[in-house]
Amino acid sequence: MWMVNVRSPYGARRLALGLFAFLLAALFLFPGQSQGLLEYLDGPVGQLVRLPLEAVSSLDQGISNVWQQYVALQNVEEENHRLRQEIDWLRGQNSQLREAAAATQRLSALLQFKEQALPTMIAAQVIGRDSSNRYKSVILNKGDSDGIQKDMGVITPSGVVGRVVKTTGATSVVLLVTDPNNAIAGLIQRTRDEGIVEGTPQGRAKLKYIPMLSAVKEGDHVVTSGLVGGFPRGIAIGTITGIEREEGALFQTADLSADVDVNHVEEVLIIQAPQGQASETIQKPGVGKSQP
Amino acid sequence: MKKFLLYCGLTLLLVPVQTTLLPHVAIWGIKPDLGLVVAALVGLLEGELEGLLVGLAIGWVLNLYSAGDLWLSLITTGGAGLFAGLVGRQVAQVTPMILAIGLLVLSLAGGLVAVLSMKTATVTDTWWMVQSVVVPQACFDAVLGAGLLWFLGQRFMLQRLGTFDRYS
Repeated sequence: MWMVNVRSPYGARRLALGLFAFLLAALFLFPGQSQGLLEYLDGPVGQLVRLPLEAVSSLDQGISNVWQQYVALQNVEEENHRLRQEIDWLRGQNSQLREAAAATQRLSALLQFKEQALPTMIAAQVIGRDSSNRYKSVILNKGDSDGIQKDMGVITPSGVVGRVVKTTGATSVVLLVTDPNNAIAGLIQRTRDEGIVEGTPQGRAKLKYIPMLSAVKEGDHVVTSGLVGGFPRGIAIGTITGIEREEGALFQTADLSADVDVNHVEEVLIIQAPQGQASETIQKPGVGKSQP
Repeated sequence: MKKFLLYCGLTLLLVPVQTTLLPHVAIWGIKPDLGLVVAALVGLLEGELEGLLVGLAIGWVLNLYSAGDLWLSLITTGGAGLFAGLVGRQVAQVTPMILAIGLLVLSLAGGLVAVLSMKTATVTDTWWMVQSVVVPQACFDAVLGAGLLWFLGQRFMLQRLGTFDRYS
């Protein structure tokens, strides 16, 4: 009977090359089955990795808090002054918005609008960043066992952060709004024109497929359209900073400055979409699917 | 058994280090791929079979914490361990410089495969990714690998760096 002697260099080499060739063949010929087998083990391994990951993450957060609260206080006075001015300005805005809200409430009652049900949200903490440099994603400390599923939208009070693309038992991976593989349905608040918000490799965001006749201009705010994906309508995405109009093109493209600083986000809210909504997310090829 | 447990511990420890600690030492947003470096080191010091198996395990576990595709992670990290083991047999004495060159090539190859497999990228985006992500990361990996080998050599008086010692 033929056997491989792994102790001899020649036997080990033959076995390693054979294994690698088998793996390549399995991944390319049966991508779904071979990767499905590994994905079956994701849950238990995720639970196992949770312990060191959360321990290191809390240590990291502790050091970072000490640094921010006691050491890095150089610009606090200047920042305080700026924030006080911002609060005064926001107070003024707030009173105006209260008036507008009251008016809207009266008009809605008149038109007998049904109240839009607010989605349930789960708070989560960012405990890490993507393990590779090629994707812009963050790791959250909530996973399958907390009811998190793929394609759920992730936000902060300031606006959209991204959407969940992968989950394990205890953690989930959120693809950020600035990643080129992400696509979120957006709406220009002033003109009501719709488009698709995508990231760029440089870590910025763009609103694509704006109709050519749209009167979009710099400074316009973009919010989620709520038509597809794990986001309800009206969540802030960003502000338009530049517009590209090409000769003969069918659509315009606008550069966006995201409202959330996704590189420094620490706590987020995961939107638990109503049943059936998550499956309608715009799926770009190659993301969330593990196939060659 | 002891070695198996050591590899398991190493793989589990790599996740928090790669995802939580390394982003703090990222230069221009680029951090080294510690998984690739460790797989190549294991392949070089312990042979191609162990390099492949440890590389596959590291690639799989790290991919749980990345938005990237599983097949790519398995092939690049597992392949790094395998090729480091195969090339290691042809090198009489492994020095940090030799390892740095080998890691530079492996990381460049893995990065290029990953960037070229991105279906939505335009030519301009691909070129930008190569010069801004793939090349700096390869340099970072090379420096980290050389540093790690030097540290291991100093700290643990690593004697098994010659071909005869490693594979006898």
